[in-house]
This record gives sequence, structure tokens and C-alpha cells, in this order.
Amino acid sequence: MTTQVEAKGPVGMAMMAGVAGLVISLGIVFSNLMSSGHASFNTGSNGVTWGLPVVNYVFFVLTSTGLTFVASLAMVFGFKEFYPIAKRCVWLAVVTLIAGFASLALEIGHPFRMLWAIPLSFQYLSPLNWMGVFYLAYLVLLLLKFQKVNANDWDSSGSRTLGIASFVAVVIAHGTLGGVFGAMIMRPMWYGPLVPIYFLLTAAVSGAAFAVLITYLTYGSAGNMPEKVRNLMAGSMSKVFAAVLAVVILAVVSRTVIGLWTNADGMQVWDHVVASPWYWIEIVLMVAAFLMLVNGSSPMLPALMVIVSLFIGRYEFIISGQLVPLFKGSWVPGLIQYTPSLTEWMTTLVAFSIALAGWAVGEKMLNLAAAPEGKNS
Amino acid sequence: MAKWGMVIDLEKCTGCQACSTACQMENNRLPGENYQDVLYYTEGKQPTPTLKWFPRPCMHCEEPSCLHVCPTKATFKTADGVVLIDWNKCIGCKFCMIACPYGVRFYTDEKPLIEPNIKDVFKGSGDLSWNPPYKGPQQDNAHGVGIQPNGVVSKCTFCYHKISKAPAGTANLTNEDEATREFTPACVRTCAPTARYFGDLDNPNSEVSRMISSKKGTRLLEHTGNKPQVYYVTGSGAGGGAAVPMGRNGINKV
Repeated sequence: MTTQVEAKGPVGMAMMAGVAGLVISLGIVFSNLMSSGHASFNTGSNGVTWGLPVVNYVFFVLTSTGLTFVASLAMVFGFKEFYPIAKRCVWLAVVTLIAGFASLALEIGHPFRMLWAIPLSFQYLSPLNWMGVFYLAYLVLLLLKFQKVNANDWDSSGSRTLGIASFVAVVIAHGTLGGVFGAMIMRPMWYGPLVPIYFLLTAAVSGAAFAVLITYLTYGSAGNMPEKVRNLMAGSMSKVFAAVLAVVILAVVSRTVIGLWTNADGMQVWDHVVASPWYWIEIVLMVAAFLMLVNGSSPMLPALMVIVSLFIGRYEFIISGQLVPLFKGSWVPGLIQYTPSLTEWMTTLVAFSIALAGWAVGEKMLNLAAAPEGKNS
Repeated sequence: MAKWGMVIDLEKCTGCQACSTACQMENNRLPGENYQDVLYYTEGKQPTPTLKWFPRPCMHCEEPSCLHVCPTKATFKTADGVVLIDWNKCIGCKFCMIACPYGVRFYTDEKPLIEPNIKDVFKGSGDLSWNPPYKGPQQDNAHGVGIQPNGVVSKCTFCYHKISKAPAGTANLTNEDEATREFTPACVRTCAPTARYFGDLDNPNSEVSRMISSKKGTRLLEHTGNKPQVYYVTGSGAGGGAAVPMGRNGINKV
């Protein structure tokens, strides 16, 4: 038997905000795409090819990955104190994955053709093909796992197998996403065999941040939380969050130092990266969040700070990797200028709205606070 | 079966851009979407800067990274060595544009380079992105030849609509030979100083094979392993202004 805990946070408001955001953003995106196609994006063959919608995609699918990691702490690795947030994390993994896919679908020239052309062609050499295969497998496994958990089946061998399978699927899926960028030797800012590992680390911290923030949003405040959730947030969750965040800070600093030091053509973009105030906002937010966490303050604000910081980081990674033109010419700028268009920003709003509304719907209808008997308050 | 390839003699290239213009006319290119381009750049600093240029078609690589990354096999390599795009299968994900080290791929739906937008002036019908008053090659979407449909990526085809009709066993496609003139790519045909040579790389007696071996043909960005089928002949390097650009780190891009 599970205990239904009434959410006291602004779930209804979040749902309304999410739905309103979705209506507005989809309205603007569709009307602009209908009237001028992808010319309403500020991307271009001679400029940035993959713009903000791809940033959204990477941000959200890696958040989904991280949320699965958090859920797996209880469901795969047996850290039972994480059970009270496990179901919510599985649901959030589903909705953030859909949010990411939605943004990508708005960016692709023929999203419907993709549905048959990728499986029928099956280019085994393409990281993008494998990314599709494993993210699809991951989505199906997540939904099956959620169905089990929703039916209060936490510990049957079938349920456990699904949990392990979705964990494995997402590790491989995010690895192939890392390969999409890491295999590009012609784009040195992205290139590197450890990019999938870098994605794994940043995904984990992204998942942890979302798990914390959404838990606080669900209950409104720590005072409203059931004791086990409150203890988890102040204890193990904060510690795991801080530990992964520390490794991510090291990874970001390490990438920056190596980037600034290397003088291979294309790596000059790092001078541009560190000259941007956004880079320093990203670093300061992460370091401040880490210090707050180790000083034992509430993890809610650090979670929000880390989410903002990670979004900046994703933008920096994906856009900066394309800013140095492949060849120079008299009409080719030293660095490509790129600012996302309104339509592109609206794809960001689409993704955030789907995540927000999706979470709120789950919170209202799917009893996301459920946990195995004896594991919840 | 031939393995088509090109040699560009930088000692002879005058940077006149007739190749780019011919390509634009032949393949109905929009401004800014030049399958064949001549990149002008400056090398050296004041007081002795030199204006240089570099002609750049698609390299039709032996190991094309654009092909490897395409999740739908829309980008493919023909038996005669040409890298093409099947517009019926392209989903417009643009991964090929990311993975091409040479920057020679173009997406349809972008802000126009010049106003008025030519696509608005000559509006396309059906799936085609525009409808130019003159039309070059026969529309062949399966080989990426003709007017680009919406939402796909396009690239130089080595004028596949021409070279694929060349008689089997042809070693050289050149403007000077009446028998092969019609099968010669537009950029090669129009090159006034005959800096461009086109032929069968697998035939040791073809002009391109002989030039590559006797004049030390080099390929662009060898470190990427793409192995272009377009070779550059640079000679002593003391010729005119046509040259392979150096990277910003001062290392030659060959």
C-alpha cells in the first residue's frame, strides 16, 4: 500500500503556466514556421548550423538521463532512501525527454520523414542513428517502468529488470549523443573521446538539480515535506548533488584550461568563450551552488542556480563549437555572430512548458509521491 | 567503372570565378549557396599583405564523413565515386553540414543572403523551394540534382547529370575534346585558364592521374581522413595568388 501525499506546492499554477507557455510558444513557432519555414531561425549554412533548438534538445535529453540516474539510485542500486522521489524522477525523465524531442522536431527539415527514413535505412555508422535507437528504447522502457511503478509493482523481477534496462539504455543513449559531438574531429572544440563521459557527468548533475527543484515545487517548502523526503533533501540528496557538482566544476575548468592552451585551428573560440560574461555567470553559479550545498543550506536555490548554469553551459558547448568558420575568406568573419531568433527562443519555451505542464499533470493525476510500503512517510 | 576526380592547378587559377558562375547557372544556385566557390583571403600583415584565393568545390571524398553521419543514408556514394544526396530521404537534420570539414553543404530554408528574397520572387510550386525562370539540369531528386526541395541539404554533384552520361572507359572529361565536352562538369568546362582537370582517378593514363603523380597533387585537410578526390597542384608556390589557405595557427590546411 502506498501513501498519497497531498502536494501543497504551486502545482496548479505550474500547470496553468505550462499550458499557457505551450499555447503561446507553439502559436508563435508554428505561425513563423508556416510563413517563412526555418528562415525564421538565425541559423545558416555559412554560420551556425545547429542553433538554440539543438541546445534545448541536448539540455533536456541529458536532464532526462540524469533524472533516470537519480531514480536508479533507489530502483537499481538499492539506496532505499531515494525511493520517495523515485517515481517522480521516472515521470520527470519521461516528460523532459519528450520536451527535448519536441524541440528537435521543430528544428528538423522533415521530422515525419525521419520516422521511417532512419529505421528503414539504418546507417550503422551514424551516431545519430544509434542515438535515435537508444533514446527510443529508453523512452519505451521508461514508460513501461513507470507503468509498473504506477501499479505499485516496485520489486518484482520484471519491474527491477525494466529499471536496470532503462538505466543501461540511457547510459548508451547519452553516450551516442556524446558521440554526435565527440566524434567530430573537424570541430576541435567538440572533439574528444571523453565527451560522452563529460555528458554523463553534466547529465547527472542536471538530473539531481531538477529532482531537487521539482521536489521543492511539489511540496512548496521543506516544512511541508514528509519527514523522509525532508531528510533525503537535506541529507543524501544534497551530498550526492554536491559531489557530482564538484566533479562537473572540475570538468568545466579542465575543458577551459585545455581549450585556452591548445592552439589547434578552431580552438581560438575559447578566448571568445571566456571573454563572455555568460561563461563567468555559469562558473559563479556553479561554484556558489556548491559552496551553499556543502555549508548545509537548503538545496533548492542551488538547484535553480545549477539549472541556469547548465543551460548556459549547453549553449556555450553547442554554439561555440561552430563559431570558428572552417575556412577564412575576405567575407568570412573571424568568428561567426549568432543570436537566436524569437522563433528559436520560442522553441525553448515549448520545451520548458512541456516539462512544466507534464510534471504538473503527473503530480495531479499519477500520485508521484508514491513509494514502496515502509519506504515513504 | 571510373572513379571520378578533379585536379585544380593553383599555378594557373586566376581567381576569375567563372567556375562559380557557371556552376550557379548550371545548377540553379541561390546567392550564397555556391556549390563551387572561390574563397578570397588575405595572408600576411601590413605592410606586406597579399590577396590570395582558393577555389573550393565539394571534395567528393573517398571516406566522406558527411556520408558516415547521415542517419538515413540520404548521402551516398555512387559506384563511380561521386558523393550525392537523395532528396527523397534527407530529413534536414544537418549533421552532414556539421561533419563536412570543407563547408560545402547547404540547407534550403535559411534567411536570404540578398533582398529581395529570390525564392519569393520566383515562388516554387509543389515541394520545390523556388521556380527559377531558367532551369538547368533535369530534376532528379534521387541524386540531388535540380531545384532543391524544401527542408533538405544540397551540395555539388560534380554535375552528375553530365558526367554520368559519359561513355564507359572515358579517361578524361575535357572541354577541348568535342567527344567529351557535353559530359564535362560546368566548372571544368568554363575554366578560362584551364586550371581544372577532370577524369578517372583509377586510370593511370588519365590526365588527372598523371598530374597528381608528376606534380605532387595534394589534398585538403588530410588529418581528417576524408581523402578528397579533388587534388590541388601547388607547384613551387611562387605562382600567382591562388593558394591553399593556412589555418589561423599558421599551419597549411593541406
